[in-house]
Amino acid sequence: MPALLSLGTILLPWMGAVFIWILGDKRHKLVGPVAVVFSTLAALSALYLYPFATSDIVVNLSMGDAFGYLTFRPDGLAVLLTAIATVIGCLAVIFSLDYMRGEHQLPRYYSFILLFIGAMSGLVLTSSLLYLFFFWEITALSSYALISFNNDDPKAVRGGIKALIMTQVGGAGLLAGALAMNSAIGNFEIDRILANPAAIPAGLLAFAAFGFLVAAGAKSAQFPFQTWLPDAMEAPTPISALIHAATMVNAGVYLLARFYPAFAEVPGWKLAVVTVGVVTAFTAALMAITAGDIKRVLAYSTVSQLGYMVYAIGLGAVEAAQFHLLSHAIFKALLFLSAGAVIHSVGTRDILRMGGLGKKMPFIRLAFVIGAMALAGIPVLNGFWSKELILEAGKETGPEWGYFLMLAGAGLTALYTLRLTWMVFYGKPREDLQVHHAGKAMKVALIPLAVGSIFSWLLVTTVTRVSANTMPYHTMVETNIPSLVREVALSPGTWIALAVILLSIGIWMVSHRMRFFEKALSWASRPIKASFGMESINDAIIRVVESAGERLQLSQTGLLSWNLLYVLIALILACIYLAVGA
Amino acid sequence: MPLNYFIMLLILPLAFSPVIYLVGRAIGGKKKKNTGPNISRWLLLGVISWCLYTLIRLYPISLADEKVRATWGTVSFQFDGISLVLIASALILGLLSTWFSGRYLAGEVGEEKYYALFSILIGSILCLVCAADLFTLWLCFEMMAVSTYTLVAFHRQNAAALEAGVKYLVQSALGSVLVILGIALVFGERGSLSLETLKAIGTQTPGLLAAGGLILVGFGIKAAIVPLHTWLPDAHSQAPSGMSAMLSGVVIAAGLTAMLRALSALGVPPAVWGCAFLALGSINMLVGNLLALRQVEVKRMLAYSSISHIGYLLIGLGFALYQGVNYGAEGTFFHLITHAIMKGLAFLTAGAFLFVLLPHDGFHGSLKIKDLQGAANKYPLAALTFSIAILALGGLPPLAGFMSKWVIFTAGFITNDGWMIAAAIFMALNSVLSLAYYAPVVNRLYQKECSDLVKAGNKIPAGLSLPLVLLAVFTVMIGLYPAILQPIYQLAGKNLLALFF
Repeated sequence: MPALLSLGTILLPWMGAVFIWILGDKRHKLVGPVAVVFSTLAALSALYLYPFATSDIVVNLSMGDAFGYLTFRPDGLAVLLTAIATVIGCLAVIFSLDYMRGEHQLPRYYSFILLFIGAMSGLVLTSSLLYLFFFWEITALSSYALISFNNDDPKAVRGGIKALIMTQVGGAGLLAGALAMNSAIGNFEIDRILANPAAIPAGLLAFAAFGFLVAAGAKSAQFPFQTWLPDAMEAPTPISALIHAATMVNAGVYLLARFYPAFAEVPGWKLAVVTVGVVTAFTAALMAITAGDIKRVLAYSTVSQLGYMVYAIGLGAVEAAQFHLLSHAIFKALLFLSAGAVIHSVGTRDILRMGGLGKKMPFIRLAFVIGAMALAGIPVLNGFWSKELILEAGKETGPEWGYFLMLAGAGLTALYTLRLTWMVFYGKPREDLQVHHAGKAMKVALIPLAVGSIFSWLLVTTVTRVSANTMPYHTMVETNIPSLVREVALSPGTWIALAVILLSIGIWMVSHRMRFFEKALSWASRPIKASFGMESINDAIIRVVESAGERLQLSQTGLLSWNLLYVLIALILACIYLAVGA
Repeated sequence: MPLNYFIMLLILPLAFSPVIYLVGRAIGGKKKKNTGPNISRWLLLGVISWCLYTLIRLYPISLADEKVRATWGTVSFQFDGISLVLIASALILGLLSTWFSGRYLAGEVGEEKYYALFSILIGSILCLVCAADLFTLWLCFEMMAVSTYTLVAFHRQNAAALEAGVKYLVQSALGSVLVILGIALVFGERGSLSLETLKAIGTQTPGLLAAGGLILVGFGIKAAIVPLHTWLPDAHSQAPSGMSAMLSGVVIAAGLTAMLRALSALGVPPAVWGCAFLALGSINMLVGNLLALRQVEVKRMLAYSSISHIGYLLIGLGFALYQGVNYGAEGTFFHLITHAIMKGLAFLTAGAFLFVLLPHDGFHGSLKIKDLQGAANKYPLAALTFSIAILALGGLPPLAGFMSKWVIFTAGFITNDGWMIAAAIFMALNSVLSLAYYAPVVNRLYQKECSDLVKAGNKIPAGLSLPLVLLAVFTVMIGLYPAILQPIYQLAGKNLLALFF
């Protein structure tokens, strides 16, 4: 049964993708409903997998000598992530029914969403490093195809290719690490590596550990790879919600969480992970405060929250990271989809042109506010519990500077969240924008997410119990609701964090009326807006490569005499090499 | 008897080529223009199918690792795993290209000559990869080269094609001269040309080293090793598209194979060649990718991409020869097969687009990437197969290129040598770089706005679509379940290592 369900979470969406492609443009009205059916089946498959979660391998197919075995293991971490991917995927597809109504080439859109959902499930369920990389690359392919879905918009195409290249470069780190470990132990099985990391020579293990960190950093848009995520916001908003908030960017966090037991002893690795997390969380929060595009703010917020998860893993609090992953997926998807409803209604993404929309769209405002409160860490929403667990772990086991910066980050989070919510929904409208009301499908998609943002923390018992039972190499502890409440509510760390958040809220309430806030930040906003120089590094790399291509082009003279000269030079060099080398 | 099948395999295409020409000239010449493919195409298809049948009969024997030999005096042929890979690629790609060319070249002047020369090309490749002595090797190599000269310049009214053909001819002839000088040196040193005898002697002398250099450069021109590659962009982009597919897919690989066979007989330690291949491969990959970035013509971009894929093959060979890593050899042959399929698919689809978008009357203009804008709206199947082909070439799963590159990467890491690992990582980064020129083409295909040429284009005939669908299916199948080809490439890898070690 678990084998069937695991395969179902991958093959059901993929069958849907092929079926939709066959339906094609001629039956495009059917395409959306068909996509909903297949994604719902996948979601049910994933949820029904929960009782069957096990630490055993449930599928084991030989794929050839160089490829090892295709194995699936639905353990606690895997089923949690596949449930998130398929359920939020299903909601994003439902949302798309209204959002993408009337667009061209919809079969391509729905096909790639389903391809992505299947690949994401495969990525977390598989227990073979090769197939993890295989599914990893397929998610990158779908992400690229969906970001640049609107091929006629050069910004979208550029964003898609940038995302593809940057995550692929990071993927080379995963490739290198996977093959390095394979060369030591002779197979790709993840549980063999976790069971006995000492079987791998220390140098190779360190190489793999940092390679994986690079890959995870690129995929989860951590510093210094964060520049692709804001540009990926050219994607249709349901895609931003699904791929760039709730699922694909979690793949990097998943990778680090999965391999934590193997790499924890590598000298310097945990510190590196913590540093990456802290720097990312803090700088991204700064960038969110100055951004003027609603999706960009949410994109930076995603980067920042992923920084929190990475930080938690670096501290060894894998359970806290897992819990925050769940909360974040729900409330960030809620925020993005609500933002999508706003963008669809008023036709712009620029928050400087919005304002006072709350009166015209009360339902969306409510949904957004719930998501915002969860993001800011207001009790008792899901974000509060998971963020406090992370901060507590930071206070107890982490470096001091890390804890203070993360605490400040929590304050900044509240600040930019409040700024965003206020500038969109409250105050006086800055421009008279026409509002089209949100369709029914959009509301249907938002309701479960809003409910989840308030109540998902109650699942802590199930999630931790399943994790503790099925993940022997990670030290997972089962927590139930009363102990969670006690732990968080009574810890001084929580009170400090709440105080910081209240302080930030207070700062906003006081300063925004006096325009003091925008002015105070303006001197800092330029380097912040330029991503602290990372964008210029990206541009420089592109320029160097392109000019290298241009200059090399001169060697292709088209003149026969030059071609023959090259042959002569090659002959001379070959003879020199052989005379010296042999 | 296996020997009979083997002899049939070697002789059939060459023997039938004059028949193809004469029948085509006699019967086909009486037909009016543009009324469908010439009868000579059907003859060629029959010949290739017959050869495929003999190959299938030979396959179980070679799997059992028995070698089939045919000898007449000092001329000898031997069928082993390496031959199997190349013959299979040549025949299957040849079959599909011939089918494609039927519609593509229908009614053109000299059509029957095309099929006759194609037959000589296939026959000479079959003989080349089975050659077991240096004279036969060189003879078949020359035959292959001569047939390709005329096929490249087939559209002889087109000045660009003629120029490409002439440049290719001169450079290739220079290569042949260098090769025969090398062979002469070997004969002078050893007194024998049989590869087996030479391998058995196995000691190295300066004369043999010099011969090695000459052979490396001479065959290297054909195998498009940088800086000997300069003929390739012109030749592969100006040839008729069925021919471009064969050239990029099989002919340069055959050149590489001939080089390997010749080098194995020299008694030089394999690590010398391994090191050279690693360096050359790295340069090939980088140069191929950087030059492809700036291309605006579709077929030229694909030609430069072939140069970078030869780089991947060389890196795989480097791993195999430097340390005897079996995955290196296996990966090289696996990538050879998948590259033939993917590049063949890419060129054939480009040809289909050329056929419908550009006016042709024996004159084919050049298809630019911007001409393909919005092609998916009108030609969904062709756009899909083209996207599959180029994304597969970029190494994205679940397509074939990912799996074949994976085997080569595995080889690099198994060696546990810092330089090998660096080479493997460099190859991975080059694979990413190649996406920078592959991906924008896919984006352009799927735009909403169509280019003027697309708006005015005709329907793609079914005859042209069939090979595209088959090759696309192969690409996806191999990507999902690479073990299908495992017996074949493992055997070839084993044979390669046996040649050198």
